[in-house]
Amino acid sequence: MFRVLRFSGGTLLALVLSFAAQAATPTLVVYTYDSFTSEWGPGPQVKAAFEAKCSCSLELVGLEDGVSMLNRLKLEGSNTRADLLLGIDTSLTADARASGLFEAHRITLPELSLPQPWQDDMFLPYDYGYFAFVYNKERLDNPPTSLRQLVADEAGPTILVQDPRTSTPGLGLLLWMKKVFGDESDEAWARLSKRIVTVSKGWSEAYGLFLKGEADMVLSYTTSPAYHLIAEQDSRFAAARFSEGHYQQIEVAGLVRASQQKQLARDFLEFMLSDGFQSIIPTTNWMYPANLPRTKLPADFGNLIDPSPALLLSDELVTSKRKAWVDDWLEVMSR
Amino acid sequence: MARLRSRAFAAGLVLALLALIVLAPMAGLLNLSAIPGYEPGDLRFWESAYIRRVLFFSVWQALLSMLCSVLPAILVARAFASQADFPLRALLLRLFALPLVVPAVVAVMGVVSVYGSGGWLSLGRSLYGINGILLAHVFFNLPLAVRLLLPQWQTIPAHHWQLGKQLGMNAWQRWRFLEWPALREALPGVMLLVFMLCLTSFAVVLTLGGGPQSTTLEVAIYQSLRFDFDPARAVVLALLQLSICTLVAITTLRLQRLPEVEITIASFSKPVTGRRKWLDTMLILTSGVFVGMPLLSMLIDALGGPLWQVIGTAGFWRAVVTTLFIGLFAALFSVAAGWFLLQYSATLSLAGKTGKANLVDLAGSIVYVVPPLVIGSGLFVLLSPHFDVFAWVYPIVIAINALMGLPFVIRSLGPALRQNHARYHYLCQSLALQGWSRFRHLEWPLLRRPLGLAVALVAALAMGDLGVIALFGTPHSATLPLLIYQQLGAYMIPQATVTALLLLVLSLSVFWYLERVIGGKVDA
Repeated sequence: MFRVLRFSGGTLLALVLSFAAQAATPTLVVYTYDSFTSEWGPGPQVKAAFEAKCSCSLELVGLEDGVSMLNRLKLEGSNTRADLLLGIDTSLTADARASGLFEAHRITLPELSLPQPWQDDMFLPYDYGYFAFVYNKERLDNPPTSLRQLVADEAGPTILVQDPRTSTPGLGLLLWMKKVFGDESDEAWARLSKRIVTVSKGWSEAYGLFLKGEADMVLSYTTSPAYHLIAEQDSRFAAARFSEGHYQQIEVAGLVRASQQKQLARDFLEFMLSDGFQSIIPTTNWMYPANLPRTKLPADFGNLIDPSPALLLSDELVTSKRKAWVDDWLEVMSR
Repeated sequence: MARLRSRAFAAGLVLALLALIVLAPMAGLLNLSAIPGYEPGDLRFWESAYIRRVLFFSVWQALLSMLCSVLPAILVARAFASQADFPLRALLLRLFALPLVVPAVVAVMGVVSVYGSGGWLSLGRSLYGINGILLAHVFFNLPLAVRLLLPQWQTIPAHHWQLGKQLGMNAWQRWRFLEWPALREALPGVMLLVFMLCLTSFAVVLTLGGGPQSTTLEVAIYQSLRFDFDPARAVVLALLQLSICTLVAITTLRLQRLPEVEITIASFSKPVTGRRKWLDTMLILTSGVFVGMPLLSMLIDALGGPLWQVIGTAGFWRAVVTTLFIGLFAALFSVAAGWFLLQYSATLSLAGKTGKANLVDLAGSIVYVVPPLVIGSGLFVLLSPHFDVFAWVYPIVIAINALMGLPFVIRSLGPALRQNHARYHYLCQSLALQGWSRFRHLEWPLLRRPLGLAVALVAALAMGDLGVIALFGTPHSATLPLLIYQQLGAYMIPQATVTALLLLVLSLSVFWYLERVIGGKVDA
């Protein structure tokens, strides 16, 4: 009898202790996009590396994309479980700041490897890339050398692009055209539209159609050829270098105001800018890390085009004009 | 009378649950003043030229797609009905369940492989536009319509055929007096279902439509809720979509005449011979080739892909388990809910209240057109203040998938259940056969075949779903469609092709197994 009691008492104690141990291990919740959390994305390595030093558990929640994360946070308001948002880009940061859902990071920034100085007290960049038209060298001999040439040459290559209403690269091209053509971008779109095979919902559809040979070029990133080179040992693909420069996408993370574990979240942000995180990025997210010297990039990144100058519109301008610009685009493209 | 009341109660419960799952989130979204920085935009959508254009295009492409799918489907179903011993008939009919599970983005690739510029039957750039939209929609919906219409031929009593023969009816007269009346019960429902599927089509229309001139209302809803973050506008547009479908439902119901139900159920189909047999063969082969080509191109792509690499990952197997789990539970709940609704509408119909019966069926079907994005976002608003929504991801995903499967249950099970009820209800009453024993001795043996089709359809549909699961995020494990999407998003297109093929194989096996185990050994 006593033995039984002692035994169950012991079990109970063990249970209580294990619960206590669990309660002592905090969980940091990060909303990010799906391709970050997938098996071959940066997620698994980032999780292992951070958990090895934080004595915490890192939970990465994969949502569709940056827009979904921000909207989810808006819908949940102060009830959110998220401590951090990782993966919105500079076309969304002004909107995110205005939502009042984020808090200053208060981290002293190191010298970043971004092409421009970074001054944002709320959002921290972790990687960046440039939009570009990717083509198959065996199919297209003389790719256009500027955005103006792509638009003007009526016998030029056919292209696949994405819809700015539903896709980040789609919005990127809209801003790129705005940056290069300014007030004449409607005319430029009208000229270009004759060679647009289709406007897809997302990047995946357009890239898939491109690989099936449906068009000569597809809107993607300057780093896309690196994937084919490194993961598939396939050197047929290249990005066309445009003399005006390439529109830039900077991906950032932000600290959620409603978070209950801000210290841990700040630890993660520090970690995000360290080599441990940054060196995972190039061959998992296929972007340029925001704080890693060029010399530490994989060798094949050296074969990519030089996208300078980096083109970027201010996030305030993008937020205030985006809707009107998309409406104009719809008007031109639906004619 | 007590029987009717208990059926009304069960159906009422289901309807109340439906209303709760659909309307409460919408109300939640309309009531979003608390969100920082949110000001509802202009809700007078009819003043927007953009919405008017989108509305016109959505309805036009959906009507056209519906006609191009359902009219040929009638001919093909008739051919299948007349050629009961066509070689590989059963296999072909199972194949016809497959397009339903193909995620839209994969289907787009399949269609492009066949009709794209490097395809077997290249249409070049003219694919992008209404041609591509129609091809993809017919690929999805013609086989579905064939599966749903085919059982109607079995409801034609044998002595009608004999009578027709004695009267010397020609083919046209047989169609006009025997087959068409049998078809009229199911046709409006099938037309509505296909219309709804095409109306809410999104990635297919946008990608194959060639550009933003091909924008559906569903895109506008997505745009309002995501890009513009204007939930109130999204709800108003969802309600607009709901009203369009109600209008179409009312219109198609004018075609409906419920055939008299006779006690004899012996039906037979003597294979038709001669010129008609040749024609039937051509129809079956053409439709088989049409449905089979995009699937075949996917098979060819996948067989050249890294099969072992995909099968070798733990993530793949976790996704298989999650997919099966969601598919089977969604099917279970969907068919259970559909069963109660249909029992009640059959009771109403027998009592002569056809209008009310149709209303019950319609309520169960039409929830399909409320976009999952609207339901999901609304649920977040309502639930996240009270408990941790993440812990409930699977139940919520299963519930929404079950909801989306309901119109398929109503279409595949409805006509058979109504006829069965009309045939045996009074007999059951006189024998005091009710409840479980009625199900076991009467309904199960006679309805297991359509029941099997219903369960199999919803399971396949839920297994192929991407919209709902993508919405809620994946803390633990992806489903196969989501895995495909993740692979596509990470340049891993060969891997995605292999995963898509494995999803198809899995769905086909589940479909075959469920139809066989529940439906019994007789072939459809």
